[in-house]
Amino acid sequence: MKSYVMGIDFGSTTAKTVILDLKGKVVVSCVAHMGAVSGEGVKASTEGALKQAGLTQADIGRTVSTGYGRRMLDIADKNFTEITCHARGAVTMVPEARLVIDIGGQDSKVISVDANGLVAQFAMNDRCAAGTGKFLEVLARAMEIRLEDMGDVALAAKEKLKISSMCATFAETEVISLLAEGQTKPDVLGAVHAAIASRTIGLVGRVGKKGPVVMTGGVAKNPAAVHYIQEALGMPLILPGDPQTAGALGAALIALDDYRSEHKAELAAMEEDGIEAQMAEDKACVPGCRGNPTAAPKKGLLGALGF
Amino acid sequence: MNMIVQPEKRANKLKSTRIAGKLVNDYWEMVWRAKEEGKLVCWYEGSAINPFLEAADIVWVHGEAYSAMLAARHQEGPAQQAAEERGYMKELCSYARTHLGCAVSNQRNRNDTDTGVSNAPDDNDLASKLPPPDMIISAYAYCSTGQQWDEMTSRLFGKKIPIFNVSIPWVWGSKPDAKYLQGREWNETSAYVERQLMDMVKFIEERTGKPYPWDRLRELMTNVKRASELRLEAMDMCTATPAPASFFDWVVSIAPINNLPAGPQIVDYFQTVRDEVAARVASGEGAVPKEKYRLFFDGIMNWNKVGWLAEKFARYDAAVVTGRYTHMAFWQEPGLIDPQNPVLGMAQNYLICPNNHAAPILIDLIMGLCEKYQVDGMVIHASRTCRAFTNPQFLIADAATKRLGIQTSMFEGDVTDESFYKDELLNSRVEAMLEAIDSRRMARA
Repeated sequence: MKSYVMGIDFGSTTAKTVILDLKGKVVVSCVAHMGAVSGEGVKASTEGALKQAGLTQADIGRTVSTGYGRRMLDIADKNFTEITCHARGAVTMVPEARLVIDIGGQDSKVISVDANGLVAQFAMNDRCAAGTGKFLEVLARAMEIRLEDMGDVALAAKEKLKISSMCATFAETEVISLLAEGQTKPDVLGAVHAAIASRTIGLVGRVGKKGPVVMTGGVAKNPAAVHYIQEALGMPLILPGDPQTAGALGAALIALDDYRSEHKAELAAMEEDGIEAQMAEDKACVPGCRGNPTAAPKKGLLGALGF
Repeated sequence: MNMIVQPEKRANKLKSTRIAGKLVNDYWEMVWRAKEEGKLVCWYEGSAINPFLEAADIVWVHGEAYSAMLAARHQEGPAQQAAEERGYMKELCSYARTHLGCAVSNQRNRNDTDTGVSNAPDDNDLASKLPPPDMIISAYAYCSTGQQWDEMTSRLFGKKIPIFNVSIPWVWGSKPDAKYLQGREWNETSAYVERQLMDMVKFIEERTGKPYPWDRLRELMTNVKRASELRLEAMDMCTATPAPASFFDWVVSIAPINNLPAGPQIVDYFQTVRDEVAARVASGEGAVPKEKYRLFFDGIMNWNKVGWLAEKFARYDAAVVTGRYTHMAFWQEPGLIDPQNPVLGMAQNYLICPNNHAAPILIDLIMGLCEKYQVDGMVIHASRTCRAFTNPQFLIADAATKRLGIQTSMFEGDVTDESFYKDELLNSRVEAMLEAIDSRRMARA
């Protein structure tokens, strides 16, 4: 039996990989940037993750893929949609979350989850790259500003301007016109982020506004996007430590469920072996007691016997 | 849960629906020959007023049906191109745009002939083949485009074509006594449309110069009523598990009930379909090889994608068992038709176009279908150029989730303009919905 599982989110602009051990602990996560959906980009991400963990593909018991390129991966045993994987990953990162806003490179989605963490309803951007990371990328190029600097500059906006088009191409024209009129870059960028927030709120309306709200995806790292969405939503956004890897984490957790379910008997035996070893180490008659039997875990064979 | 689609799974389409293909071809051949045979031609859209025309020996051209036929044959391009060149923008209803493109092509060829330029239409150029209208009847329920479409058609033909307008009011359903097919508003609007249909008959008499042949209409409506009863009987059998026929079988059976000649052949057609469905129920044969999910389809068909979608859902083990477009339209209330005195029942069937009800009645009807067919989820096709059909879709989705606790999934496409359809958008949305259904089933288990 193998000791690790892997989740890969093969997105439109980045590839994310998460490796878990069989207890669900994140061993490593890796994000690789791609020019476009490509086998090379995803290879860089998976190989980077394996290298960081000191593993090879042969050490991985199950691999699940998600994202636009999910069907392109030969190494994936199964694939699931971004909705399922992002919901699972986001709720694992922030268990109290009931609404997930994910804005990635090519799509934006809002997922409502029930008290059990299951997908209750979802909505995605219907047309082109309206309100996504790609939208920001196109406008960053038009404004000659680095993508990673956009958020901070936008937060310095003083005037409220309006970008009415969500089509990246037409929005680019609007942005150029505003700059030509003499509007400042921060004000124009503020309008760009407000436009994304407006689009996101439309999706929230479709699934039903509720909280707590977690935001994932690459755009969650942009402080202006977070600011404008919070303002439009009227609710705070919870930002997990590594928002870009929520989908890959969800995929890895599904891989883990699958692998554990397939190897239930072996895992139970390993658990018993572990308990025995722990007892020997603790020199205890009840595992984990260390002089306090009530603290002992009621699991496995001993739990079944009433210990 | 894994959504790796399996290409070897094919939709198990009803064999009897192949007959519909022949009936459709025969009908359009008849239309294309109309002028050679000295027949009057009427163009109309929306409501199925064709029995009124057929009875009077007028050849009828249903705009949506022609556009749908072109799209189903993947021959809609030249008509849409002609319309675009004439200035009809892409956001305009693609049924209208395609049909107007046919009018543009028709006139273009005619003008070329007038100037002596030899540009006779190629026999395969279906955009140009439609015979020009001798009259237009506008009888559209709840369509923001319908009347303008007819008006634009009239202009394209030099404003020389007589037009008759039947106004079909929206059924508000807001009075305390209002229910589906009940209440004062229903009775009043039914009578209002009936009166206009009687005036429409006078208009037809003026065009033909003959007294209206009521006996012939009675005969045709006897067939329509019986065909409709058989169609509904066959649809009802699809409450069985596995469902013996799918939404897509009913889509390809729309023309026989909606716009083909209403002779005994439509009764024979639906009798054959009904018998095949019954045989499948008896033998446990399903419309998809392995029915795992049962779905409701809301929205008009993507006519360029009928077979494509049927195969796609079969690969997902999803039987699309019912839908608003197929199950809530096209003479769906045959009980209202009295063949001996058919006009009131015809008016009432026109009034219950699935877009023409206020949301509470519409949603109750849809929820009723979802429960009757025991669906697990709802796929919603938001047609980019038919906002009339898409307007209530968020309300429908909301009701499905809150009242029935079922998953919904929306994708954007179009009725006849393929460029609005993005396959990956549909894939990711449907797969996500099916995964959510699986998760819930596992959680319940």
